[in-house]
Amino acid sequence: MPAAIVATELSKTYDVKVRDPGIKGALAALARPHYRQVRAVSAVSFAIERGDAVAFLGPNGAGKTTTLKMLTGLLFPSSGRAQVAGCDPWTGGNPFRQRIAFVLGNKQQLLWDLPPEETFRLNRAIYGVSTADFSARRAELVELLVLGDLVDKPARQLSLGERMKCELAAALLHQPEVLFLDEPTLGLDLEAQQTIRTFLGEYRQRHGATILLTSHYMADVTALASRVLIINRGRLLYDGELSELVARIAPIKRIELVLSEPVTRARLEEYGLVAHFALPSATIEVPRESATAASARLLADLAVADLSIQDPPIEEVIRIAFGEGAQDADAEPETPIRADVRRAPP
Amino acid sequence: MNRDASPVAAFRDQYAELMRSAFLIDLQYRASIAIWLIWGITEPIISLGIWWSIAAAGAVDGYTREAFAQYFFGVALVNQATLSWDAWNIDRWIREGEMNYRLTRPIAPIHEAIADNIAYKGPTAAIILTAWLVAAVFWPAARIPFDPGRWMLAIVAIMLAAAIRFLNGYATGLLAFWTTRATALVELQFGISLFLSGRIAPLSLLPPRVVHVAEYLWFPYVVSFPVEVLTGAVHTTAEYARGFAGQVIWLVIWLLLYALVWSRGRRHYGAVGG
Repeated sequence: MPAAIVATELSKTYDVKVRDPGIKGALAALARPHYRQVRAVSAVSFAIERGDAVAFLGPNGAGKTTTLKMLTGLLFPSSGRAQVAGCDPWTGGNPFRQRIAFVLGNKQQLLWDLPPEETFRLNRAIYGVSTADFSARRAELVELLVLGDLVDKPARQLSLGERMKCELAAALLHQPEVLFLDEPTLGLDLEAQQTIRTFLGEYRQRHGATILLTSHYMADVTALASRVLIINRGRLLYDGELSELVARIAPIKRIELVLSEPVTRARLEEYGLVAHFALPSATIEVPRESATAASARLLADLAVADLSIQDPPIEEVIRIAFGEGAQDADAEPETPIRADVRRAPP
Repeated sequence: MNRDASPVAAFRDQYAELMRSAFLIDLQYRASIAIWLIWGITEPIISLGIWWSIAAAGAVDGYTREAFAQYFFGVALVNQATLSWDAWNIDRWIREGEMNYRLTRPIAPIHEAIADNIAYKGPTAAIILTAWLVAAVFWPAARIPFDPGRWMLAIVAIMLAAAIRFLNGYATGLLAFWTTRATALVELQFGISLFLSGRIAPLSLLPPRVVHVAEYLWFPYVVSFPVEVLTGAVHTTAEYARGFAGQVIWLVIWLLLYALVWSRGRRHYGAVGG
């Protein structure tokens, strides 16, 4: 079975008008406009198998949304190719659009003045869903997303979280094979974020949908995707398992201790780097491979009330990865970074 | 996908739902629509008032007071049935990123605009027609001769005019793919059309040079011609043929321009927002 998403050397270059500040600059730009080429996405390649969920990570302006917009056929690439759900996104036309859904967290497609039920009706007709399929899918989505009577309230009266749940229901009524989500939990409270995450995981399991999502919330990523794509300044820096990234970027473990008797900071430094020291609790960072041995020694030597071994926080790992990538990208613009862990498309 | 439905039935289903939601949204904005309607008929009423006083001394270039009354009632109806605001919608869709989801749906955004036009213009034109009928009961000057054959031709002329104005507004609005000044261009055309389409005065009363320029543009075919078919000012076969031929030519021209701007604009689209 072919992969659900294949991007091959996708690039997007924008022409950006440059002008000096002030009125003089504005007039000069009017008379003789100058353009500078900005590479938003640079030769990005990856493949995502059917049914997989992959998170696209990168700082603001890294090229995530531009890539998503190319894969959904909204933007034409400057060069490169792509196949999504077996179609070319730019020439696939309506059969392609039937197979995908694109949900933008900060843009709504629900009819603002009408209840979501009206958007559902409209989407049923637009996507040509049969009445029987519509009833069954609508019932399933209402149940999974716990929509209840929200579907009968005008969309403008719904909270952000309620609206996003209805957005997802509207976007999934045609049962797309590939789901693109751009910041689906943006601005939502913790409970709503959790509902959306649980729903997406459940939906993917039930229907085998492929999901490519961007998010700034690491909880979205860890809950939904085991594989991540890291992009910065338009270049793909990492493509692989999240756990592998953690091991690679931060090859340490954090031993979190609660001590029943006081000890000095210097005493703890014998075991590793003391990252946090506020008795009775303390955190020690040790090389990944010696975490077990260090823990055993701690338990033997000190009065330990509680001990746990943790991975470093994922936010920290990603921040380091973005930083590394940015530096490397400046130094060596033509060579893909961490090519060893990038997955080549089949 | 509903594979049982024929493509025609599926398309009809899409239009029915698009029109239904557009109509339900219009109902939410009924107060605004009432104000727009009043604003829409104010312009022909003012023009009628002016020409009514001018014609007090006798007919102006063949136009009696009654002829002016019929003409401007016709303008109110035809203008309502053919006006185009789509450029403002497209401008917003593109500027605020609302075009994105429309481009990922399996239906071109123009169909949503067409359905919106039908859902709005049908009921509002019916309101103006009713107002005209009521006025005609009490005011003989507003009455046009009973001639169902000509009314049928007028309906065809109004539909062609609505299609030309729609495509004109929509294609110009799509220039928003390149510039933030697309709506200004539409406003400019709107201003020119005040004179050249016959909204302020019947075209035959304008200076011959202005009329000569207008004949090379689409403006006379979108208001003046359908109104004159309705009132009977256009009545010879040659006049009908010339008017309908002009409408068809301009319809084809704007259709081609729309297709050109749409395909180029799609490629140029920067997908702003998000």
